[in-house]
Amino acid sequence: MTALDTATTPHPGTLAVGQVLAAITRTTSLTQVFRYSAATWNTHRIHYDLDYAKREGYPGVLVQSHLHGAFVTQYCTDWMGPGGTLESLVVSVRRYAVAGESLTCVGVITELEDQGDFVAVHLDVTETRDSDGAVCVPGKAVIRLPLHEPTKGTNG
Amino acid sequence: MSVDDRLVKNLTEEVGVEHAELLGVISAGRIGRYAAAVDDSNPLYRDAEYARSLGYAHVVAPPNLIAAVINWTSGAAYDRLREDGTEADLHLPGVPASGVRVMGGGEEIEFVAPIVAGTEVSRTTVLLDINQRESKTGPLVVARYKDHYTDSSGAALVNSVRTVILR
Repeated sequence: MTALDTATTPHPGTLAVGQVLAAITRTTSLTQVFRYSAATWNTHRIHYDLDYAKREGYPGVLVQSHLHGAFVTQYCTDWMGPGGTLESLVVSVRRYAVAGESLTCVGVITELEDQGDFVAVHLDVTETRDSDGAVCVPGKAVIRLPLHEPTKGTNG
Repeated sequence: MSVDDRLVKNLTEEVGVEHAELLGVISAGRIGRYAAAVDDSNPLYRDAEYARSLGYAHVVAPPNLIAAVINWTSGAAYDRLREDGTEADLHLPGVPASGVRVMGGGEEIEFVAPIVAGTEVSRTTVLLDINQRESKTGPLVVARYKDHYTDSSGAALVNSVRTVILR
């Protein structure tokens, strides 16, 4: 996975509607899908039983819907850094991905909403399956960024 | 069985009925393992000192952890699992333990407050509405469930609306 500067929080003054944020690509693995199932007590065989997944018509075991969501979430939290607050997220898994596939997240700023000492950044985040470019997840996020220093955690 | 009148009747009667349950304490261990599985190295999830430097009492859960856990119980016996490996308790009031195929259709999550390790979390689930539709493969029902997560004082942590497709 490409390294992002997760230690800094972007200043709202540097942002513009229409701005495309840096894309992040990550490659899933069977081990990761297994560990995610274990961490969330997801016992569905479609995530670890290849014969079962093939019987259901898939070429491999499926990346969990929530793991897709976790990738979109991390894309947002990495971008916003410690001073930002993820306020909401809408995800909808439209296409599957199988373990081993690479997935790319990219965000576009759709709105900058003035909230006094904060700016609510509205993002469209898409997660794309690199094998054929199909969009697995169209997502929307709202991230609150402080206008002023210090860029410390906002703790609710 | 698939989508039939009995299922629709069950679901219709379920709309608006609240189900409250105690999920348990979110431990630092659970948070760390979740972050490890995602491959998210954010120190906020693993390093208590770092989390304290940002004003939190302990490590914080990744925002979508709470909504991603499929089952909070101690787990069903093997002879109680469905053919697809899932447990009978689907966290979908009104949906029977067998005979209906369940697909996730998306989720809208509002993160009201961060969940710090040690927080005892409760959840109230309610079926908001159902919509019947015809598809190429037969009738289906789109059901929307709302989950309201709170701490032990009743303060809101996370609100989530899940769209589930039943066929």
